[in-house]
Amino acid sequence: MADRTAHVTWSGALMEGAGTITSVGSGAFGPLDVTWASRAEDSNGRTSPEELIAAAHAACFSMALSHGLAQGGTPPEKLDVDATVTFVPGTGITKSVLTVRAVVPGIDEPAFLHAAQAAKESCPVSQALASVPEITLEASLA
Amino acid sequence: MPRIVREAEIDWEGTTARGSGVVRAASTGSFELSATIASRIEVVEGKTSPEELLAAAHATCFVTSLGSELARMGTPPERMHVRCTITMDEVEGNGHRIVASAISARGVAPGADAASFSTAAEAADAGCPFSALIRASATVTVDATLV
Repeated sequence: MADRTAHVTWSGALMEGAGTITSVGSGAFGPLDVTWASRAEDSNGRTSPEELIAAAHAACFSMALSHGLAQGGTPPEKLDVDATVTFVPGTGITKSVLTVRAVVPGIDEPAFLHAAQAAKESCPVSQALASVPEITLEASLA
Repeated sequence: MPRIVREAEIDWEGTTARGSGVVRAASTGSFELSATIASRIEVVEGKTSPEELLAAAHATCFVTSLGSELARMGTPPERMHVRCTITMDEVEGNGHRIVASAISARGVAPGADAASFSTAAEAADAGCPFSALIRASATVTVDATLV
């Protein structure tokens, strides 16, 4: 079992106030500033829950794919993964788009696409996001 | 309402077991972090993981919902502090799964009492898009205290 923790403080009302992701358990990042405007309008260099979800999804997928490829006897040299998360205020998180470009010696395209699809289905963050209406994947070999 | 799009990217070198990745906030450049499988399932050693990023996302999502609910009730917050703990566990026959997200919220909101603060926290949980999502696979708990 693995627990991971994050800490946020917020001062003032939603529209006029501001928050900070003060720290996370690993110490890997923080403080990061957040505001409603940076979430719903222009980011202005500030992060948001949806950007953090995009980072979590990209990281989770890349681990699942590299694991699956190694298990299949074709470990990857390099995976470049993008995740783009769409948030509609009042509706919620409607979409996560995963894109991967990979260098995988010894694999053919069908086997790679199969591994990528399996990683998308099985990674724990994809499972946690199972109620997102649309999770899509574009996978290609570099 | 407009659609809001936020993007992140990771470059991973090598296998899951021995390789490592760098996660970047592509939309904003507000963070660049290293991640390994060991930092995800074993000792963190100062590296982040998908679950830690989800904890940060849920805490941030919840705090904005709570502030919004308190303001709606006529008791806007002066200050709120939210901690989120995400738990990943091995589920029999299903590998690793995210099984729980525990929110602990403390707030200073002049005019609110313990009951109204608790009501606001419940409404915040119901309204936070991330709480709604994570319930698909995990248990969400909220512990709220007016300071």
